[in-house]
Amino acid sequence: MNGTPGRIEPPGFILPQAVMEREKMKISKSLYSYYLILPALFIYSLFFVLPAIVGLFYSFTDWRLDREAIHFIGWDNFNRIFTDKTLVLAIKNTFIFAIVTVIGKNVLGIALAIGLNMRLKSKNLLRAIFYSPSILSVLVISIVFTPLLRSEGTINSLFEAVGLHSFSQAWLTNPSIVIWTIAAVSIWQHTGFQMAIYLAGLQSISKEYYEAATIDGAGAWMSFSKITLPLLLPAININLMLTLIGGLKVFSEVFVLTGGGPGNASQVVGTIILRAFGEGSWGLGTAVNTLLFVIVTIISIPLLIFMRRKEVTE
Amino acid sequence: MGFSRKLAFRNYLVEGLLILASLTIILPLLMMIFGSFMTSSEVLRFTLKLPEKWMFSNYTQVFKEGGLGRAFLNGLLITGVSSIVNIITSSAASFILVRRETKWSSMLYLYFFMGLIAPMSMITTIRVLQWMGIYGSITSVILIYSALNTAFSVFLYSGFIKSIPKALDEVAFLEGANMFDVFFRIVTPLIVPVNATVAIMVFMSVWNDITIPLYFLTDSSNWTMPLSVYNFYGKYSRDWNLIFADLVLTSLPVLILYLFAQKYIVSGLTAGAVKG
Repeated sequence: MNGTPGRIEPPGFILPQAVMEREKMKISKSLYSYYLILPALFIYSLFFVLPAIVGLFYSFTDWRLDREAIHFIGWDNFNRIFTDKTLVLAIKNTFIFAIVTVIGKNVLGIALAIGLNMRLKSKNLLRAIFYSPSILSVLVISIVFTPLLRSEGTINSLFEAVGLHSFSQAWLTNPSIVIWTIAAVSIWQHTGFQMAIYLAGLQSISKEYYEAATIDGAGAWMSFSKITLPLLLPAININLMLTLIGGLKVFSEVFVLTGGGPGNASQVVGTIILRAFGEGSWGLGTAVNTLLFVIVTIISIPLLIFMRRKEVTE
Repeated sequence: MGFSRKLAFRNYLVEGLLILASLTIILPLLMMIFGSFMTSSEVLRFTLKLPEKWMFSNYTQVFKEGGLGRAFLNGLLITGVSSIVNIITSSAASFILVRRETKWSSMLYLYFFMGLIAPMSMITTIRVLQWMGIYGSITSVILIYSALNTAFSVFLYSGFIKSIPKALDEVAFLEGANMFDVFFRIVTPLIVPVNATVAIMVFMSVWNDITIPLYFLTDSSNWTMPLSVYNFYGKYSRDWNLIFADLVLTSLPVLILYLFAQKYIVSGLTAGAVKG
């Protein structure tokens, strides 16, 4: 039975047991009708799910802006994705960006959260400072960083001022490092968000564990690996998911900082879709989108199932 | 005594390191704010200095030339309406999804949950909007944002509604109330804090976004602030004082919201951290 038995005590009269049970059946099944789901279901299905399904079909066509007829062309779009140099590079860059940002945002996020969970005088101010860039638009941060990252820009001048000439780089124009630079800007902006989730997780860990561990003679590393990390697991899970999915969907950072350049050196899946859209190769663009959908789903679903199982066993 | 002194020393060390690290966050932002008040030649040095003369006129100039008044109102309309639509539809849906406890309702929950993972299909969404005859309109963008945020909101609401005892509903039902009474008169008042969290989360993500306007707002008179700023950035790429002023203006609404609504943001994050 769905309800919690023995909790309903309507004032004034007592129902026989059988009637009670029947009433509760009706409550859980029919009284909560699906009407209230319909508006959300309608909007979500029409504007999110339907385009995804339509996309599955259009991925196998030569759909173009400048042609009326649409033909089925089998796997041609996907063959092109895996043979075209730019498209392969875009997929590779997307993965580099995702992996680098997942590691950067989470390692730094945990470090900041642990530091700012200590009894520091300025902790509230510091928390606000580290969190603040993540509430701003990616557009704002990317534009602010453009002049800083130029060859003759502020960051290189700083390196040169302290004598570290070898550190100065053509951050946004050197094809072999540009995607790493973009990832670094994203880490700079969003680590504060991950930090806030880790802080919330840390604050739910009782201080007594640490006191007991200290009494038993555990060092800082022992406390961290045996208490903090395991109890922080829910926060780590959610942060890994958020940063990984967000990383694979990257678009705005690349679009504003380099537009995919120099040449095509920093193209990612998100910017390739826009380029295909702009060129009118809609079938190809949709196929790239479908591929992203498949990649993200294949990676996230096992992670989600794993997370659920962990949660149950805890 | 020795132990607590060691602890105090460690705290000072950590605090010092964190303050140094925080400079890397503060300095670029200060450069933007100071730069927004400089003359166009002074700003080009991109150094961290107070402006020689505070040019407040930069702000009035970008406001006029960048068409920001219109863009501000567009953004307000799009973010406001999509937050409201999202709150009403998602909270109602979550209420049923949580309470029915059937196989169908948990499958529907997963169906919504997929939206947290799957990337949106840009080009075919345009196709669907063309079929409906609303491509390029503000209405279409509002509906897209409502759809995109459904997954996250259903996730937040479901977690919260689960913690409201079902006995409350059952008493009301036995007294003769119907589902709508229960939802609007019992559940809705209890989920006001979640409404605030969802409203703020949706507002911030929608306000800051450039992807959806880029694909779906074909007419520049419908643009939101970030897209207008991007366009301005392309056109006035030499006048960095004006670009910085533009960026500050775009950021002000979310900064103000953050200052006044911090606790709701934190509670949204906590829900994620604790529930996983």
